[in-house]
Amino acid sequence: MPQNTVQPVHEVHLIEEFHQAQPKPPLARDELREAIVLALWAGQLLLQHGAESDRVEETVHRLGTGMGCDWMDILVSPNAVVATTISGGEFRTKLRRVPVLGVNMTIVDAINTLSRQVSRGELSRAQVRTELRRISAIKPRYNRWVVVLMVGLACAAFSRLFGGTWPIFGVTFGSAAIAMFVRQELTRRHFNLLMVVTLTAFVGGLSASSAVLLQLHYDPEITRIPLVASVLLLVPGVPLINAIEDLIKGHMVAGVARGMTGLLISLSIALGLLLAMWVVGVGAL
Amino acid sequence: MSLVELLWLLLQDAFWSGLASLGFAVLFNVPPRLLPGCALCGAAGHMVRTLLMETTGFTIEGATLVGATTVGFLGTLLARYLRSPVPIFTVTGVIPMVPGSFAFGTMINLLQFTAGGPNANTIELVDAAFNASKTALILGAIAVGIAAPSLLFQRRK
Repeated sequence: MPQNTVQPVHEVHLIEEFHQAQPKPPLARDELREAIVLALWAGQLLLQHGAESDRVEETVHRLGTGMGCDWMDILVSPNAVVATTISGGEFRTKLRRVPVLGVNMTIVDAINTLSRQVSRGELSRAQVRTELRRISAIKPRYNRWVVVLMVGLACAAFSRLFGGTWPIFGVTFGSAAIAMFVRQELTRRHFNLLMVVTLTAFVGGLSASSAVLLQLHYDPEITRIPLVASVLLLVPGVPLINAIEDLIKGHMVAGVARGMTGLLISLSIALGLLLAMWVVGVGAL
Repeated sequence: MSLVELLWLLLQDAFWSGLASLGFAVLFNVPPRLLPGCALCGAAGHMVRTLLMETTGFTIEGATLVGATTVGFLGTLLARYLRSPVPIFTVTGVIPMVPGSFAFGTMINLLQFTAGGPNANTIELVDAAFNASKTALILGAIAVGIAAPSLLFQRRK
């Protein structure tokens, strides 16, 4: 097969990079296929577990070039990754649909380590495959009751930062822990994300209203603290921060889409909280 | 405020904000070896914000910008030292600065306004606009602050 006789047109803008790079031996078509499947697998794991678009793009690129391709062209959308591998005159393209799951920084960290190793040329394609299989099998890092406890404590810590007293701290801890439990149960049953958020905020709000009903403090500004603090576990921190990061670095479509997800989650929190306040009758306070 | 009072305030502030960041780090499945870094970022960022607001004339937006920038740089350093992705530290580190109570206030004020009818006192509408602006500005300050290191030092050729 004649190799690399003509520079393909779509690579013209990369000529500078080609001259800088070490000449690599061209890969056969099935080697290219393996490289693209593995690189996209890593990209999929990142996108699923809460990485920003730039990290997905860079990792897929590093893995592809680290496994012998000359260049990778990558398109990251909020729920799919497309990549084209190029080696010599040959190229292959693949699209991978990605359903977004919960945030799991253990997986993001593991892929980060893998990407460093591959770009240093330390791993063969077979080793990359084994490693990706191991990372895919990583389960949520912490026991669910540990998560309930820690999230309860985190929200209760917020109530202190907002100036709450110890009884307020206690009510917030209880409400946030119950809310987290409800969230886990609903997520496990695969309800729609916005539905999970609304119902969780509703339950958290119901429980937190007890501070108002029991009049734990003479100041209404203080008794409403649990209502705010115990739904903070739903704050869409990762989507919103990723949205800004994407927009700043030029991934406009992904950034706008993630920002909209964050906005809808925020509105769902408000809806759930309002329903709870309406049911309990703490109304406009 | 005396120095001792200020130190006591900052110590409490650091403790509670560190705990908040730690809780969210567990929620986001951060590996155990990186948990102390997350708590440190949360404590440092919020403590800087409180210090500026208590001792100088900083508004909450300005102080948040400085606090979030602190989180951004500290997170970048920790990530380099511990060989891990930067967002693990920055995302959990800015969580204590999230303007939850301003967002809640906006919602309540808007409800009070709509409940009163169009000719009622519009003070609630002004309150809602105030709280909404605060929420937006603080969120903007957080975003710019944590993006600062990458904007300044990671330029593409």
